[in-house]
Amino acid sequence: MANYSTSQFKNGLKLMLDGNPCSIISNEIRKPGKGQASNKVKFKDLITGKTLEKTFKSGESLEGADVMELDMQYLYNDGSEWSFMDPDTFDQYMINDSAMDDVRGYLVEQDMCIVTLWNDNPISVTPPNHVMLEVVDTDPGLKGDTAGTGGKPATMNTGIVVQVPLFISIGEKIKVDTRTNEYAGRS
Amino acid sequence: MNMQEDLKEYSDFLQKIRTFFNDQNVLEVQTPTLLNTPATDVYIDSLRVKLNQAIGLEQTQYLHTSPELEMKKLLAKGSGDIYQICSVFRDNEQGSHNTNEFTMLEYYRLGFDAHQLMDDMVRLLRALGVESQVTKLSYAQAFFEYGDIDILNTDFSALKVIAQKHSLTTDFEWIEDLQILLFTHLIEPKLQTLPLCFIFDYPASQSALANVEGKVAHRFELYMNGVEIANGYDELRHADEYKIVFDQEIAKRATLKKHTPDLNKDYLEAIQSSLPKCAGVAIGMSRLFSQINLK
Repeated sequence: MANYSTSQFKNGLKLMLDGNPCSIISNEIRKPGKGQASNKVKFKDLITGKTLEKTFKSGESLEGADVMELDMQYLYNDGSEWSFMDPDTFDQYMINDSAMDDVRGYLVEQDMCIVTLWNDNPISVTPPNHVMLEVVDTDPGLKGDTAGTGGKPATMNTGIVVQVPLFISIGEKIKVDTRTNEYAGRS
Repeated sequence: MNMQEDLKEYSDFLQKIRTFFNDQNVLEVQTPTLLNTPATDVYIDSLRVKLNQAIGLEQTQYLHTSPELEMKKLLAKGSGDIYQICSVFRDNEQGSHNTNEFTMLEYYRLGFDAHQLMDDMVRLLRALGVESQVTKLSYAQAFFEYGDIDILNTDFSALKVIAQKHSLTTDFEWIEDLQILLFTHLIEPKLQTLPLCFIFDYPASQSALANVEGKVAHRFELYMNGVEIANGYDELRHADEYKIVFDQEIAKRATLKKHTPDLNKDYLEAIQSSLPKCAGVAIGMSRLFSQINLK
C-alpha cells in the first residue's frame, strides 16, 4: 500500500495507525512563527469504532490502509458467523458474530448493507438507514391512541427493543431508523 | 459593515500606530523587499524570484521574510529608534492563521531590554484601544502551570516520553522542535482564555537572535486569546554572535535537506561596528487587527 504524507491528508482517507485501519475525520495544520508546522489529526479506528487524535510534524507519512466499502446483500447467520454476498461477483464474505454487536439487531435477510473490507477481510457492517422489523412482543395498546402521546417498549424479531407508539401491536411490521434506534413509521 | 467602513477602520488603525511612534520620535523607515540572500531560519522559507531573464541579465533574488536584518543594518549605522510596516513573504506556509504574504510591523527601541519593550507594547495596545488585563508568564511558568512540565530541566528523551503520552509525534532531530510542538498543542490552547498574554524567557535552545543568560534566552511572544501575535528579542549585538547563529541554522537546514543559503556576509560586514543595545519586535498586523476587532 502506498504511503501518504501529511500534505495529502484529507477527510475520509484510510490509513494504518498502530496496526489498525483508520479513517481521517479532521486535519488541522498549525505553523508557529519560528517553528516546524504540525498536523493535528482526528481518526476513527475502523476496527474498534473509537475516535483517536494524533499529532504529526508536517511532512511525516503514514501507510495507506487497503480499505474498501462495498454494497452487499445479507444472506443468513448460523449463530457464529454472518454471511454476506457481493451481488456483482457473487463472492460471499463471512463475518464473526463478535464483530456484529452494534448492528445485529438491524439485519434483515436479503437487505443491502455496506460491508467494509480491510485487506479483503470484512471488518464492519453498516445496515441501511431504515429497516422493516416485526414486533414479536409488546404490551397491549390502548384503542384510539395516536402517535406522539408517549410510547411503550416493543421487542423486534431481531431481538432489539424499540420505543413504539401505544397503538402498535404484536405481529405488525414497523420501520426503524438504524442510526438512532427510533420508530420511524408503520409499513 | 460595508467595505468602505472596513477600509476606514484599518486606515485608522494604521494612523494610530504611526501617531504612537511619531509621538516618541521613532522614525518610520523602508528597507528593500528584494534581497540577495534568503532567510536562514530553519522553518522559514524565502520565496525565490528570477529577475531580468528577458534582457539577458538573469539573477536570482529573494523576497524578504522579515525586514529584520535590513533594519538592523540601519541601527548599526546609527539610525536610532526605527519602525517599519511592510509586506513580508514566506514560502510553504499553511494553517488557519498563515498566509504566504502578510503585513508586519517591526520596531526597535535603543537601550530597551525585553521587559521594557513588552511595557512599550502594552502602551501601543492601549493607544489602539485594547483595555484588557495583561498577563505575563515565563515560558517555564506556562509549562508548569498548564502542562505540569519542568521544561527547562527536562531532557530530550524525557520530553519524548511526555509527548508520546499526549499522542504527539516525537520524530525530531532537536529538542527545541519538540518543545515548540508541546507548546503549540498543550500550552497554546490554554492561553485562549487570556486576552493579552506575554510569554518570556524562552529556553536557550530557542534563542534565535536573542541574548542568552543561563538557561534562558531573553525572547518573548505576545498571545491574544491564544493566537501568536508578536515575537520580540533582546537583540544580539555583535557580528560574531550573528555568524554563530547563521552557521547553526544553515547546518540545520542542510540536515533537513532544505535549501541552504550562503552565509549573509553583507550583513555581517554591515554590522561590524556592532548594534547598539536594543530590543526589537515583529508584530503580525492582520492578526493584531482581527484580535482587536473580534466581533
